[in-house]
Amino acid sequence: MDETLEIDTGVRRPKKNKKKKQPITWRVIKNQNQLIWMSVPLMLYIILFAYVPVWGWTMAFQNYRPAKSFGEQEWVGLKQFKFLFTDDNFIRVLRNTLAMGVINLILGFVTAIVLALLLNEIKKVFWKRTVQTISYLPHFLSWIIVTGIVATSLSINDGIVNIVLMKLHLIKEPILWLSEGKYFWGIVGASHVWKEVGWNTIIYLAAIASIDPALYEAAEIDGANRYKKMMHVTLPGIKATIVILMIMSIGHVLEAGFEVQYLLGNGLVVDWAETIDIFVLKYGLAQGNYSLATAGGIFKTVVSVTLLLMANGISKRLGEERLL
Amino acid sequence: MGGKSKVTFKYSLVALLTLSFALSGCGGGNDKNAASTDKAKETTATDSASSNTGGKIEPFKVSAFIGVAGQQPTPDNKIYKKIKEETGASFDMEFLAGDINQKLGVMIAGQDYPDLMTGSTKLTAAGAYIPLEDLIEQYAPNLKAHYADYWNMMKDPNDGHIYILPNYGVYNGKVNSSWYSGPAFWIQKAVLKEFNYPKVKTLDQYFDLIEQYKAKYPKIDGSPTIGFEILNYDWKNWGLFNAPQHLIGHPNDGGVVVNDGVAEVFANKDYAKQYYQKLNEMNEKGIIDKETFVQNYDQYMAKLSSGTVLGMFDQHWNFNAAEDSLTTQNKIERTYVGLPLVYDESTKDHYRDLAVLNLNNGFGISINAKDPVKIIKLLDTLMDEKWQKLFSWGVEGEDYIVENGRFMRTQKQRDDAADATWQLGNKAKSLFEYLPKTEGSFSDGNSTDAAAQPEEYKAGLKPFDKEVLDAYGFNSYVDFFSDPPPNPVYYPAWSIDLIEGSDAKIASTKLNELQTKFLPKAILAKPAEFDSVWTDYTEQIEKANVKAYEDKINEQIKWRIDNWSK
Repeated sequence: MDETLEIDTGVRRPKKNKKKKQPITWRVIKNQNQLIWMSVPLMLYIILFAYVPVWGWTMAFQNYRPAKSFGEQEWVGLKQFKFLFTDDNFIRVLRNTLAMGVINLILGFVTAIVLALLLNEIKKVFWKRTVQTISYLPHFLSWIIVTGIVATSLSINDGIVNIVLMKLHLIKEPILWLSEGKYFWGIVGASHVWKEVGWNTIIYLAAIASIDPALYEAAEIDGANRYKKMMHVTLPGIKATIVILMIMSIGHVLEAGFEVQYLLGNGLVVDWAETIDIFVLKYGLAQGNYSLATAGGIFKTVVSVTLLLMANGISKRLGEERLL
Repeated sequence: MGGKSKVTFKYSLVALLTLSFALSGCGGGNDKNAASTDKAKETTATDSASSNTGGKIEPFKVSAFIGVAGQQPTPDNKIYKKIKEETGASFDMEFLAGDINQKLGVMIAGQDYPDLMTGSTKLTAAGAYIPLEDLIEQYAPNLKAHYADYWNMMKDPNDGHIYILPNYGVYNGKVNSSWYSGPAFWIQKAVLKEFNYPKVKTLDQYFDLIEQYKAKYPKIDGSPTIGFEILNYDWKNWGLFNAPQHLIGHPNDGGVVVNDGVAEVFANKDYAKQYYQKLNEMNEKGIIDKETFVQNYDQYMAKLSSGTVLGMFDQHWNFNAAEDSLTTQNKIERTYVGLPLVYDESTKDHYRDLAVLNLNNGFGISINAKDPVKIIKLLDTLMDEKWQKLFSWGVEGEDYIVENGRFMRTQKQRDDAADATWQLGNKAKSLFEYLPKTEGSFSDGNSTDAAAQPEEYKAGLKPFDKEVLDAYGFNSYVDFFSDPPPNPVYYPAWSIDLIEGSDAKIASTKLNELQTKFLPKAILAKPAEFDSVWTDYTEQIEKANVKAYEDKINEQIKWRIDNWSK
């Protein structure tokens, strides 16, 4: 029994005794057999849903036709990738995806952390709860509804945005927001913030809640005001959470979205609105060209994994928390 | 067994169970497929033997996928109930929710097909339908007779099999029509009335009327008047693309104009430029809705339903619901008249065409169907005139009356028939829409479509409509259009299957994209900048390999002429 405990702690803190890694012997396996059995279902789950589908990547190197069996498929090498990378639109599409991904990432982070900090300062529980609830409710709306709301509020006839701006005398006549490419990224970013900010805040609030109150008391005795406590106690307290979430989201930067851009986009803003997903839908799925769609997916995965590893590496260099 | 091994045993049992669940969940699909095809063979054999013993009705379920959004009929729907009582068949229908391409992609990837599926070239390419020609020959005399003249046309140009039973375009008896469903330049009846019912022939005259009316009535019911509306949303993009071919007197061939059997893309031609330049001019004058290119279909329909839009280019069936809403609001003068406009009066309009066989529509039977024979027999039964009447007119005495052998409706029945909620309980609309059907007249001379029955149409006219028609001396709004000449053999080019993933399809997608991007830009540009945007646009089109697209169309036109000519 004692032995298992020791090994257990070893597993939990791989950082410290990384150098003297425990050799895996039959004895260890036998002692840990309960743990091993417990992890079998999870392993199977991951193999089944994360690794088996990778087999589908072979489609990207074929001229895949759904009705034929694997043996009958025509192999075309890198043709699909070539089409993808040589298309005039691809650079533009990649730029849009990256731009909107980065905007969403940064805006999402900043607003969520700021909101969490501010909420933390509210002492009346009732108000805190109310604000929190209202801010995370949009998360449960689907994008089709959100884009409907966005399109309506940006309308020139009776859209609330134009009405407010007109009343404030900031603009002379209503602006047709969705017809200008230069506004589009901003609109997408803002819609994302509106929809997700409350939801993203939850995890930070949880992290803040776990900060030792003694630290605040100590800071107060040292004469720190609210702002200073926020900067020197709260923020460092949730730093680990921020970094881990940051690394994870960087891996998703190419998932800038599909629905928002698809539903809000139109001919006038297409140069700013089209993302990789839309491109793949148009030239892949909509054409019955599943191979191209797969090639697009592979490209995204490769870039995402690279970004993830890079972020993780940088974080490691800086001596911060990291994921891997 | 010691305590420890008991525990081990327990854990391994849990693991085993998990494993078996996971694996069974994943492999299930294929097993079912294999089993069902086996069963299909089996039942085919037994069914053909037992079917003639007849008498007893065996209940069976048919699952169907309808490729458009729709509403489930009520559980006690009277038509479905009758079908169930008399044939044993009950339908389990799935309507499209969301994007059709996405849905089809998922269906194809999982080989997850219901018994009946509405036509789609994607499903055909995926081998999701079974060939029907032998089944029809063997088990479906009614269908055979129905399609006899169209047999060659129904064959898939790629492999010569028949996969889809077209739902529209097969005519029987005299064809009456009082409702034009196709493309036109639409104008509010109120505008025509205001200027004492002028004859409108050309695009210039049309915009002139709209301009004058808008100047005279800047507001309608308190909202600003919108002169002209263009819908260019998702696949409903013809409002922007298709007008030029009609303006030079050609019928709707989709993206090409066909002269003597040779097709050419018209998007970049001078007669297209003329149209967009006119729109550009109109935009400068504030006639065109500012929001026209950023709106979605719902917003478009909302605007039409409000009665503030004076005109647009569209297909009638696409905005029919908005007109219904206007009628309900009792704003008959705000509903629309379709006008067959051309560039100059010497051109003969060719908007109205003789309806053609719709090859990409209707039902096909899927490879997963357990019992194709039973299904084809059911479809054959429903082809019977008795059922066709039930589908189109309803139940005699309840939904229509017979006067001297002519079918008519009372006002109550007319109102019911137009009521969407009533339809769910009393019509099998979504199913009938895609079934093979008799069009034209029944053997007793009555129209297959209540709206096309001349006396019924007349009786149902609102006073305002009577006034408009009398002013022009027409019997129905269809008379605004020239009578259609016989269709060329190949017609229409828009129904040509470009083959998924081919160069032609990619070129057509590219062309579509360029049009969506540049035409709004050109229309909204300052008039002085119009030419430079247009040059930019035509240069881009040249780069897009439209040749591949034209070649494919021309190849298929030739194929149709060779194979369809009698």
